[in-house]
Amino acid sequence: MAEHEPLIIAFVCNWCTYTAADLAGTSRLSYPKNIRLIRVMCTGMVDPQYIIKAFLEGADMVIVSGCHPGDCHYINGNYKARRRIKLLKEILPKFGIEKQRLKLTWIGASDGIEFAKTMQELVIQAKTIGPNPARTGAGL
Amino acid sequence: MDKNNSNALVVGAGISGIRTALDLAQQDFHVTLIDKSPAIGGILSQLDYQFPSNHCGMCKMLPLINRDASSQFCLRKGLFHENIHLLLSCELSGLAGEAGNFTARLRQKPTWVDPDLCVGCGLCEKVCPQDIPDCFNEGLSSRKAIYLPVPHAIPNAYVIDLAACNRCGACEEVCPTNAIQLSQSNRKAFNILVVDDELSIRDSLKEWLEEEDFSVDMAVSGADALTKLSQKPYQLMLTDIKMPQMGGVELLKKAKKDHPNLSVVMMTAYATVETAVEAMKIGALDYLIKPFDPDTLVPMVIRIFQDIEATKDREITIDTIIFSTGTSFYDPADEKNIFGYGIYPNVLTSIEFERMISHTGPSQGALCRLDHNPNDQNDPPVKKIAWIQCVGSRNIQQNADFCSSICCMIAIKEAVLTREISKGKIDTTIFYMDMRTFGKSFQRYYDTALSEHGVRFERCKIDSISLDKKTNDLIIRYISKNGELKKELFDMAVLSTGQRPSYKTAQLAKICDLSTNPWGFIQTLPFSLTLTAKEGIIAGGSVTGLKDISQSLIQASAAAQNAGCIIHSKGSKKLEAPIENKGVYRDVSREPVDLLMVICTCKERVTRFIDPKILTEKFIQDPCISNVIFLDNICTDNGWQELEQIVMDCRPNRLLIGACHPYLYIRRIRELAKKCTLDPVFIDVVDIMTGVFQENPDSQNELNSTGFHITGILNAGAAALKQAQYQTSHKIPVHPSALIIGGGIAGMTAALGIADQGYEVALVEKTDHLGGNLNWLKQTIDGLSCENLLEETIARVTKQPLIRIFLNSQIISCTGYTGQFKTIIEDGEKQPVTIEHGAVILATGGNEARTQSFNYGTQNSVVTQKDLEIRLADKSIDPKKLDSIAMIQCVDSRQEPRNYCSRVCCPTALKQARFIKEQNPEADIYFLYRDMMTCGFTETFFTQARKDNIIFISYEPDNLPQVEEIEGKIIINAVEPVLGRPIEINADLVVLATGITPEFPDTLASILGIMPDMDRFFQEADPKWRPLDAIKEGIYACGIVHSPGSIPESIATAQAAAQRALNIISRPVLASAQIVALVRHSLCSLCQRCIDTCPYGARMLNTDETKVLVNEAMCQGCGACAVICPNNASVLQGYSGQQMLGVIDAVFEDLLN
Repeated sequence: MAEHEPLIIAFVCNWCTYTAADLAGTSRLSYPKNIRLIRVMCTGMVDPQYIIKAFLEGADMVIVSGCHPGDCHYINGNYKARRRIKLLKEILPKFGIEKQRLKLTWIGASDGIEFAKTMQELVIQAKTIGPNPARTGAGL
Repeated sequence: MDKNNSNALVVGAGISGIRTALDLAQQDFHVTLIDKSPAIGGILSQLDYQFPSNHCGMCKMLPLINRDASSQFCLRKGLFHENIHLLLSCELSGLAGEAGNFTARLRQKPTWVDPDLCVGCGLCEKVCPQDIPDCFNEGLSSRKAIYLPVPHAIPNAYVIDLAACNRCGACEEVCPTNAIQLSQSNRKAFNILVVDDELSIRDSLKEWLEEEDFSVDMAVSGADALTKLSQKPYQLMLTDIKMPQMGGVELLKKAKKDHPNLSVVMMTAYATVETAVEAMKIGALDYLIKPFDPDTLVPMVIRIFQDIEATKDREITIDTIIFSTGTSFYDPADEKNIFGYGIYPNVLTSIEFERMISHTGPSQGALCRLDHNPNDQNDPPVKKIAWIQCVGSRNIQQNADFCSSICCMIAIKEAVLTREISKGKIDTTIFYMDMRTFGKSFQRYYDTALSEHGVRFERCKIDSISLDKKTNDLIIRYISKNGELKKELFDMAVLSTGQRPSYKTAQLAKICDLSTNPWGFIQTLPFSLTLTAKEGIIAGGSVTGLKDISQSLIQASAAAQNAGCIIHSKGSKKLEAPIENKGVYRDVSREPVDLLMVICTCKERVTRFIDPKILTEKFIQDPCISNVIFLDNICTDNGWQELEQIVMDCRPNRLLIGACHPYLYIRRIRELAKKCTLDPVFIDVVDIMTGVFQENPDSQNELNSTGFHITGILNAGAAALKQAQYQTSHKIPVHPSALIIGGGIAGMTAALGIADQGYEVALVEKTDHLGGNLNWLKQTIDGLSCENLLEETIARVTKQPLIRIFLNSQIISCTGYTGQFKTIIEDGEKQPVTIEHGAVILATGGNEARTQSFNYGTQNSVVTQKDLEIRLADKSIDPKKLDSIAMIQCVDSRQEPRNYCSRVCCPTALKQARFIKEQNPEADIYFLYRDMMTCGFTETFFTQARKDNIIFISYEPDNLPQVEEIEGKIIINAVEPVLGRPIEINADLVVLATGITPEFPDTLASILGIMPDMDRFFQEADPKWRPLDAIKEGIYACGIVHSPGSIPESIATAQAAAQRALNIISRPVLASAQIVALVRHSLCSLCQRCIDTCPYGARMLNTDETKVLVNEAMCQGCGACAVICPNNASVLQGYSGQQMLGVIDAVFEDLLN
């Protein structure tokens, strides 16, 4: 069987991480194709149900990435995301999803390199963890 | 938008220029914003980190009200605003006229790459043979002659540095869109007409010039020339003077009449040189003396050709001009170069260091010694870095008798960042003379750096830096505070280079006939930081001296306010109110989804991965998708026009564009939306290119997976659009007036700033008189009379019919929100008065702090600075009777619980010392101080004081001077640090500098619904980027309730706060933006969690209707309310739950099949 190609969903905020992704693009840094970016206005608007939905549909990893603490364009949205993800990480194992599959990072607008690097690392991590059981286990 | 006619011209698009332009644009004035460089951002484009957050927050400058008029993405990438005409690579070359009717001449430099054609593919950069130092990275890395000026800018077109270009033409050959027009091919478009009656001359000229690729035509006579000129446009005419019938001069006259832009060169025999000179007076460009050879002719023609190409001069008419041209930095390699900058490998300037720790910098943010190879794994790490303060500042020999004001904080920030990046492994030491932490929250930042981050601060005098030749380590010798010579090794030294006027400042001053101060910065009027001596010419930002971000922005807003007053007083019209957007779009809510997908092939870079046919067949199966069209280079002008045509023909009700850099298209989408009457909510661009694929994929597998990826992105984009919904927006009417609380100089200035532009003001003062602290302040340090200022200002306020003054009054309640406040004032007769207004300005000021330290209150000869000012004025203290005076600085200040610097006390103490010395030169004056905070140009008074034999003795906060009274004489015991011994001072008078405490009672804060900061000053929404705004929109602060400051600084904050308020009250209505939250009332259980979570206070419970309502003007579209809502009743338009889940579904659709 061919090597497992993980699929990663990244919720990125409009102001910082999406800008970093764009900068990575203009700087011609490539990042793995296993990652689908979903742009949101702020990490504070990422509803846990989006993350759960992504896992249930078979995402091997989900990353939420926004502005550094204290930098949120909307004052405190990233803090809200931080609390929410911490709680969600506690709940996920109960669904049979390892908590390492969910990540929260801060990548600022000028960190194009950091963005590409993080995405590459994620793919390696996802390969180590292995496929999401939801992918193979029917009925979820 | 009329591009030749603006209300204001802002020169310089750094942060202060951007702030001024945005402020004026928000008021619906039309602004032209120019910058000499090819990108916006000024110095800030090079700085990734700003304290106190140690990250960037520039986007917070973008407007919150009417935000859809401007770009809504990272401001470092770019800016657009409906009312701003941005011209880059453009300089001011002339200014004529007067306020209200200036004519400005602008010169746009060619970048040699057509930005409308450049797709930023970077092929040109690869083939360019030239390697030169990259100025964006301060020369720490190299770039090509064709390059991206700023790596993150949008649109990011390449430019050619002609000075470095060798004209090899390689870039032009590889450019896929023919955007580069460097070589001689456009010489073909340069038409030259040679007029001579002698065939041999005509022929040889034609031959020589055609060899150089120019297009040349010939005319045998004047009449023939005129005919030819009328048939085809010519750029240059070479004409003989002596010709039968019509001579050259006559031809020149006639030709110039019909073709004023034609350049003419006269060809003359030696005998008629005088005629040729005469001809130049009537418009000829130059002359050539016959006989001439190609070596004379060809360079002249090429020069004329390049001049014409290079100078695209244009003239615009403006009411007022604002200079935001900034400053530049001292070059430490100048003069004696005592620190070995440029000689020793590891000596950097602070800007170079900023580039080094930047992710877009030369080493991608890694800290490494410049004499080592960063790719070498065994490279010894950097262990110790030194910062050296006051390089090129506070130095009389270098004509820099001023403090550059920002370097101390930059150094602390850089040291803290270094500690963070290295996880504490790199030792950081700052060598300084005085640590000037004079701004809001600066002192606490310093304390954290010292105690939490472990940055070492060494008060000393640097003796020298030398090099250890074996290791390339730097040996820093310094004289410590107790006078010992010490020596220490460092890996790296960062020079905190001070400010110098920008090299353009002198030129601009000359163009506009402005005066400069002794150090070459623009001179402003007394008590103003922005107004120059010439009406209509305003200085913003750091052109008058280096400022930090918040100060620059305050001054920029103040400049905008000054400009607004001029535009208003000259009766110039604002822009016509834009047609309200929603009305012009057709209602598609009842139509079935009809989605048109347009995909950019990007010169076949996309079609390598996907087969258009298969893709079309796949998508067309979806009943919602009506058509899939492939276009080449949508990002170019031609491509976009083609797209527009297709959209006009198909008239879809959803449009998805697959291209790159979605931000690039926002402005075009808005324009397209208006043309095709489709709400921009239904148009989207998804990025199918950047970062996804490599230039040369090496396997079929890779080709397939990239194709798969592109399909997935398009699919997800379509899913989001299908679910997009349309919501009619509400408009909030605005009360065109403002409430100002506090009648001191700041309150009065703010009131005038608003009333002078025709809006009503209610000015509320709690005492029975206006003026605040100016009632006891007599004069400033530079000898200006505060009394005159107070008299004039009160006279203007009382004469201004739009200002209603409430004395002995206070605010009882304030309800409502931005644009619509309702306030009850209890007036002097204790009667309630209700007023409605659109904005609030808090100007309640502050007082000198009370103290009990140093026996104050028990001894008559211990006074505060305020006591001294009053008693010197009423002559109850006679300087002539004082033999010895001690000034004790920082009393109870800069330590908990008042851990901030009050900024004014050091200059005030120097002012009093100066006054006493003038009256009594024999008096001994001692300063007991911690750090002399004479920032900016007040440094000269510190220098002068030392020349006047005033003695300065520093003390440490843990070893305070002791004041005691012995037999009616006051004795001060302190430690003289240089001697290292205790000393005794006998003083007749002790003056305590106790600093400022704000006047911001809790009751007022809770009435306004805002919170004071930890020192009880006004808490700003963002200390750097929104320095005068409260988090609650519509409330601003100025004067010393905001932060301690001098009179001119308070006036500047007042004018800036007035401008911020004008941004709201000058609009008839506040319109909502495209992305706002709304409530589905049928699902809402009124739990009110959304109200608590909204960071902008944009939600409220309407008890009459029992509904949660959203103030759409205040809502910024962050979506926090949508997540917190347990019933999905709260929805963020454009990012609804349905849309998001639809997108996630679409992402997996392909993958799992």
